[in-house]
Amino acid sequence: MVYLLPKILVAGGALMSLLATLGLPRWRNGAFWVALVLLLAAGVDAAVLWQAEGNLSLLVAGSMIADPFSSLVDLLVVAAGVSSLLLSWNGDRYGPEFPALVAVAVLGMMMVAEAGNLIWLFLGVEVLSLPLYVLAASERTALGGEAGLKYLLLGAFSSGILLFGMALLYGATGTTLFVRYPNLPLGTGFGLYGVGFLLVLVGLGFKVAMVPFHMWVPDVYEGSPTPVTNLMAFGTKVGAAAAILRLVAYGFYPQAQWWSPLIGYLAVLTMIVGNLLALPQRDLKRLLAYSGIGHAGFLLVGIAAHNFLGSMAAVFYLVPYGLAAIGAFALIRLVEGNGEGVQLDDLEGLAYAHPWAAALFIVVMLSLAGIPLTAGFIGKFYLLQAALVANQTGLAVGLVVGTLVGLAAYLRPLQRMFARSRSERVQAFRWSWAGGAVLVVAACGTLFLGVYPSPMMHIVDQSANFFWLR
Amino acid sequence: MTATTWTVAVAVAIFAVGAIGVLTRRNPLIMFMAAEMMWNAAALAFVAFARQHHALSGQVMAFLIIATAAAEVGIGLALIVSVYHRRHRLNIDEISRLKG
Repeated sequence: MVYLLPKILVAGGALMSLLATLGLPRWRNGAFWVALVLLLAAGVDAAVLWQAEGNLSLLVAGSMIADPFSSLVDLLVVAAGVSSLLLSWNGDRYGPEFPALVAVAVLGMMMVAEAGNLIWLFLGVEVLSLPLYVLAASERTALGGEAGLKYLLLGAFSSGILLFGMALLYGATGTTLFVRYPNLPLGTGFGLYGVGFLLVLVGLGFKVAMVPFHMWVPDVYEGSPTPVTNLMAFGTKVGAAAAILRLVAYGFYPQAQWWSPLIGYLAVLTMIVGNLLALPQRDLKRLLAYSGIGHAGFLLVGIAAHNFLGSMAAVFYLVPYGLAAIGAFALIRLVEGNGEGVQLDDLEGLAYAHPWAAALFIVVMLSLAGIPLTAGFIGKFYLLQAALVANQTGLAVGLVVGTLVGLAAYLRPLQRMFARSRSERVQAFRWSWAGGAVLVVAACGTLFLGVYPSPMMHIVDQSANFFWLR
Repeated sequence: MTATTWTVAVAVAIFAVGAIGVLTRRNPLIMFMAAEMMWNAAALAFVAFARQHHALSGQVMAFLIIATAAAEVGIGLALIVSVYHRRHRLNIDEISRLKG
């Protein structure tokens, strides 16, 4: 029971925030405060549980797993939810139910990470997706409706594939408890098992934005309101990566010799295609969408390496990527003001008009590109190390090529900032305390991790071990 | 062929019809319905395998799939109706202001 407290707090946050919209209509930010306080409480509780004695237990016969990995993912998705709430602060235009839906989505991400059972994994994926369909369309514009509709259709399609794969896995093994799969003898049902695995991988590949299942990402990111895009970019990625780690890297590790090359090729393809397509983008959110696709490829490198270093590097990489993503979306939120969306040309002159905002943005963009002294470099370094230890030179080469292509894409918005002329958006630029706080925390965290990564490495080292489950 | 094989064959057929429907039809309502068919094919396969393995978890999963599909339909129809109200036409190729 005590291990479920973070989830209970988040679920309570969703319900209480709904109640607050009914009971306190005069207090405009009441629902936001309730959701924010309960999400922060869940984060504190997850941090306490992370180091708690006996935080290695199976609940409901292994369907839910309480271990440091779940607690770490809880912390990360709470950070994603809190940053989205802060970025939407005073956002009357997103509707009063916005904080409640964010809390439900965060709950779904937590469920995905703790799942040890296909049933719980599926429920988590749906609890995470359903509020995001509504949130994507929560701004009543043509683009918002289009983004919501596209997300819904692709989401329902990918969940269908995921579900059918789960059905075949169940048929082959006779159990939905995937934590037991490594101990099962693989008899004649191998064909069913293999096809089921592939379908599940495709279904999760849609969620984590793996090439060739990435085509919905740019449209949905561009059309959704910025705080929602932030939640999708950080939270959904963390949730889906956690699910792939637990299900593929642990549940199927005896079959690593045939899924590892497959995921390896997909990772190289994702890294290179994502970063290449980021090059010509003119809309900053679309650029970050393609960068998110590229970063899904970097995460997959750690999984394809299928060793302890690899899962450690993949879990570690979630932190720099998440910090950089929330920093970049905070800057978009600051620049867009009351409008929606930021073109690269809108950044012109930002470096001279608001040097602090520009400096913080440069830090997070350089971290996405993987420049030394930022967290992104450390993350890519560990991934490279994991790929080389696993003796997969192709993966390492793909990682370096993807990083180089990405560097060009990330330098373009920075170059626009140093233009002499000032765009209208930059002239109308106003700091808001919430967006500013997110940007400062993200940039400082990025620099801190880049200079002194060992505390985070220690945390990840303790968390990324799934093999106690055996 | 056993009863399980036949049932699973039907489930695969429904799944294929649903997947082809999503990929070829251009009306969001029909696409959404086709996606729901894929879900129900999975539910059917779960029930068939549950009977074969004499295990209940597959049937539990089938009920959960039905409940989740109902929630998804609630959200999906609301979204499709709100998009329809704005443009009074439903064709996924015309809903394409976002691209690049």
